[in-house]
Amino acid sequence: MKEYSKIVDIRVKVNGAEYRESVPANMTLLHFLREHLMLTGTKEGCGIGECGACTIVLNGKPVTSCTILAAEVDGSEIHTIEGEAKNYQLTDLQQAFIEHHGEQCGFCTPGFIMSAQSLLDRNPNPSREEIVEAVSGNLCRCTGYEPIIEAIEAVARKKS
Amino acid sequence: MIKPVAYFKPDSLAEAVEALQNENARPIAGGTDLIINMRNGTENPGLLVDVKGLDELDVFSANGKSGITIGARVNLNFLIDDAKLRNICPVLGESALSVATYQLRNRATLIGNLCNASPAADMAPAMYVLGAGVVITGPHGERKMLISDFITGVKRTALGKGELVVKVEIPEIPDGKMAFLKKQRCRGHDLATVNVAGIADPAAKTLKICIGACAVTPVLLKGTDELYRETDNVDELADRAAELARKSIAPIDDVRSSAEYRRDMASVYVKRLIRKICS
Amino acid sequence: MLVDEKKNYRYIGKNIPRKDGVEKVTGTALYVQDMILQGMLYARIVKSPHAYARIKSIDTNDAEKMPGVRAVVTGKELSYKVGLYVVDKDILAKDYVRYQGEPVAAVAADTELIAEQACEKIKVTYEELEPVLDPREALKPEAPLVHPDLGNYSYMKGVFQPQAHTNIPHVQKIRHGDIEKGFKDADYIIEESFYNPPVQHVPLETHTVICQALPGDKVLIYTSAQSPFTVRNLFSVCFGMPLENIRVKIPYVGGGFGGKAGIHFEPLTYVLSKKAGGRPVKLAMTREEEFNTIPSRQGLYSDFKTGVTKNGKITALEIKYYWDAGAYADYGVNVGRAGAYSGAGPYEVPNCKIDSFIVYTNKVFGTAYRGFGHLEVHWGIERNMDIVARKIGMDPLKFRQKNVLRPGAETITGEKIGPSHGKVYECLDAVAKDINWNGLKSETEREKEKKTGKVRGKGVAVLHKAPAMPTFTTTAVILKFNENGSVDLMTSLTDYGQGTYTALAQIAAEVLKMPVERINVPWDSDTSFTPYDWQTVASKGSFMSGNATIMAAKDALMQIKEIAAQVFRCTVEDLVCKDEKVFPEHNPGKYLEYKQIINGYVYPNGNTIGGPVIGRGRYTAQGLTNLDFETGQGLPALDWTFGAHGAEVEVDLETGEIKVLNLSSAFDIGQTLNEGLARGQIIGGVIQGLGSALTEEFKFSGRGKFLNAGLVDYKILTAKDLPEKMSQHMIENPQMDGPFGARGVAEHPMISVPSVIGNAIYDALGIDYFRIPLTSERIYLGIKSGKKEYHD
Repeated sequence: MKEYSKIVDIRVKVNGAEYRESVPANMTLLHFLREHLMLTGTKEGCGIGECGACTIVLNGKPVTSCTILAAEVDGSEIHTIEGEAKNYQLTDLQQAFIEHHGEQCGFCTPGFIMSAQSLLDRNPNPSREEIVEAVSGNLCRCTGYEPIIEAIEAVARKKS
Repeated sequence: MIKPVAYFKPDSLAEAVEALQNENARPIAGGTDLIINMRNGTENPGLLVDVKGLDELDVFSANGKSGITIGARVNLNFLIDDAKLRNICPVLGESALSVATYQLRNRATLIGNLCNASPAADMAPAMYVLGAGVVITGPHGERKMLISDFITGVKRTALGKGELVVKVEIPEIPDGKMAFLKKQRCRGHDLATVNVAGIADPAAKTLKICIGACAVTPVLLKGTDELYRETDNVDELADRAAELARKSIAPIDDVRSSAEYRRDMASVYVKRLIRKICS
Repeated sequence: MLVDEKKNYRYIGKNIPRKDGVEKVTGTALYVQDMILQGMLYARIVKSPHAYARIKSIDTNDAEKMPGVRAVVTGKELSYKVGLYVVDKDILAKDYVRYQGEPVAAVAADTELIAEQACEKIKVTYEELEPVLDPREALKPEAPLVHPDLGNYSYMKGVFQPQAHTNIPHVQKIRHGDIEKGFKDADYIIEESFYNPPVQHVPLETHTVICQALPGDKVLIYTSAQSPFTVRNLFSVCFGMPLENIRVKIPYVGGGFGGKAGIHFEPLTYVLSKKAGGRPVKLAMTREEEFNTIPSRQGLYSDFKTGVTKNGKITALEIKYYWDAGAYADYGVNVGRAGAYSGAGPYEVPNCKIDSFIVYTNKVFGTAYRGFGHLEVHWGIERNMDIVARKIGMDPLKFRQKNVLRPGAETITGEKIGPSHGKVYECLDAVAKDINWNGLKSETEREKEKKTGKVRGKGVAVLHKAPAMPTFTTTAVILKFNENGSVDLMTSLTDYGQGTYTALAQIAAEVLKMPVERINVPWDSDTSFTPYDWQTVASKGSFMSGNATIMAAKDALMQIKEIAAQVFRCTVEDLVCKDEKVFPEHNPGKYLEYKQIINGYVYPNGNTIGGPVIGRGRYTAQGLTNLDFETGQGLPALDWTFGAHGAEVEVDLETGEIKVLNLSSAFDIGQTLNEGLARGQIIGGVIQGLGSALTEEFKFSGRGKFLNAGLVDYKILTAKDLPEKMSQHMIENPQMDGPFGARGVAEHPMISVPSVIGNAIYDALGIDYFRIPLTSERIYLGIKSGKKEYHD
């Protein structure tokens, strides 16, 4: 029988920068980002895909990085919260979160922004219902969600 | 934490099948159940065979009413978003929409949901009422079986060592209405307390209803065609189907619900389903 | 303080964005979970599988031999006790485990995985014992003792009274008026009982700590905690280490809600670090551990006996509260104390008798949780008031309006309500109007509506809470100036989302007469650099630190004026400040900018006077007294924030599912400091309270094993679960001693949300429910029972 390795070589683009890394096959994408690349903006809230704090955009789609292995994403393009503000310019969505008090403790905020930005990218003028569907996989214990929904609605209105 | 594991991404189905011969090897597609189980220590595979690269699994066709084929790489959001599928077989998208969260559905696959074989699997009832079959590949070649034969118990399937589900085949879609309904503890993402799917063909007078989370496997009600033929009155049909449902299921008490509530909700949801698809 | 009746404020009350917004939306805010120190090890813990058992042996040999393992500790080698009010807890269980999930051993290793695998190799043998799980059972003389040594533990004297050879770390008594006379004067006597289960805070960041034992008996701690000085104080008591040798740093914290108020794994990681030769050790709770290792909100059984006259005046209220404290007293004893002195609700009750028993059981222990006992007691209080009103044939709104506290009334601890107190009746009126309250529906209306399969109902509920804190609670704020005249505001109050830092910046800007953008509030609290604050709890932050900020700003202005007076050759009384300038009132054209003074004024010839300006402010809770042990009389409350909710719900009769159509909330917060932040506190708290109302509860097996640790089977609400409509009212009757008249509103929004939903459900169904959460299953089974009262 063939020998299979517990270490995997991967090549990924994270926020536009290319990385070639060797990773243990049991390392989640979340841990790869946080502990290997030291991109700690993406948070761990539960480790089982229930809370959405670890949401990143993988090949254009929001996913929970705690339920994906780094080994699986060879050849992929990844966007994290660190890549949102370009040249220190906040995105409209980031600005709207601040204006509408969409963040309190801030721990869930990066995940919400990734989910919501991805929604706005595929649907620039979402309804409230579509917004709720897109972010209901992100748990927040501080805000009661309403200010977050309002922030996303504000960006949608601005775009329409 | 996930324990050390080997990883292999085959280039061909044959290579995948060969790798799966290894002791303790597991195929991984979306991974949204498997990785969580590994993190929780309830599953500890020695080798993960990543089948996401295989073209044979990346199949999808939904042409007219002649049937639907869905490969093992197809994720749940695809089933929600595909306009053609929504048109000819909306129950798949409806079921998929109730599974987990948007983020997880970008990874989670239909076939993964079936292979996980949870009694509460939200994709399973629709498969039962549509009479779907799974196509399995393994060291001894290909075989097909009905979904109801494939899921054999709680977290148990008919998959043999080294075998892999390649795709699901749904035969001709009957004319008529179909729907999926789910009782859960909150409006946000949750596992099913009870889920039901149904499809009614008023011309052929066929009615299929399946109930999940109320027995070790989803329960496809027997005798619903006859009921459908016996009465044109929707309320009567709903009541009789609900009664049949109560007798056919064997729910348990667990942390999610009492057996009593499950049984009563199965009845309520079967009634609601009948009103939706038979009026 | 500084109340301007015309509200002519530049920053107070305005909707200023959070000071920490940019860091949080860009993911650059650093939490302890994000931190790595040089040489850092990772810890994991071994937990008890039993609710109550004797530890027969622990074999750590295999774990110690594993490559990468740097330290293994068990309870046996640790002779330290820790505790906030009653010092009853070991760092790791010794001899006995008292709840399922209690840590019994710990490992520090090079990686988290090695630490976890080493934990799996630690063999613990137990002799399982019969646990006591119900606080009412635990009170019986034959009940097993959770702490046989309770009589030997040290505790906070003058406030608490642990009872040796019982399971009672404290009983809080309230004796007000003459209870027997009260019942004699009553036309009706009504008795009801209620229950709340234990629940979890669920902060998105689990408890995390990094601890490094340093040479010279010193320690450095980074922790996701609410109160740096309390961590330091309790750590010092635990190890006998001098305070100045302990440095506690708190960066951004991912939610607290009371669950991070005290001390948790700081001592354990210290012991591991010390054993590993001083390497820093990080321990992050898993989400599952956050449920059944980290403490929770206590369960509560409550029995009410109410005396009331025909015309609806309450004459007597006798209550027994039985708090399910779990295995350790922690904050639980004080929750039971606060629950007692607030335990009659915001009502005038001339004759009141309360016994609030805090009782040890073999469950995960209780701690502070947003509301600090008040959500729990108000579930009973406000359901009881509705039931009492109905039984005497009175509209529940009118009944409340007749009995709520008004100026001149006395609280049950003997405090007179005066002109500076808030007005609960105004809150009640606001929410009643919002939901178009027209009285309860009749049985005929209800039966008619039931035919549609869905019924709607409305309810109201009131609430109150004062900060629960010791009489000596105190805080300080320092303002230091940068060379360009901008200000750093230094406080050890932590802002884990409440927005207090932004509010303090607004207060400083208002008093200093300078732009709020130029007030910086550095994020780390650090016991070595930031001034003392008792704790970040109790909704006292804006009030106390706000007052301290006013004092510090005035102090700074006075120093600025003293220098300016020399320069202008006038008196400080001649000077005024505006727009970062100081000038004689009669001659605004002749001015000095703050920046010309704050590091000393330099004359044209080079002579310099003055020097760096440092504004110092403090605030001490004034006039508070301990409560009399026998009567509970005294002054426990710095300020009361009153509030009310109104709700309309729709119940699906076939499934028991509840849809919240409208949820209106009003609080008399004296003066809004920041409109957006206050609204955020209210919405966030209301939704957290709605979780308590509808879905959240711990489930245990008959042997006390936790069944739903984790987010799969413990459901907190999501964006899909919001009411169809919500509104928030800030009522502003100023508190004369509050900063610009303000009161706290951090915890209050949660309180009485379950009650208002329960009351609305009664109106809809005509069924009284006595337990939360009001899950669809419970509602359904209540309907199915055909009873008017559903007690399960």
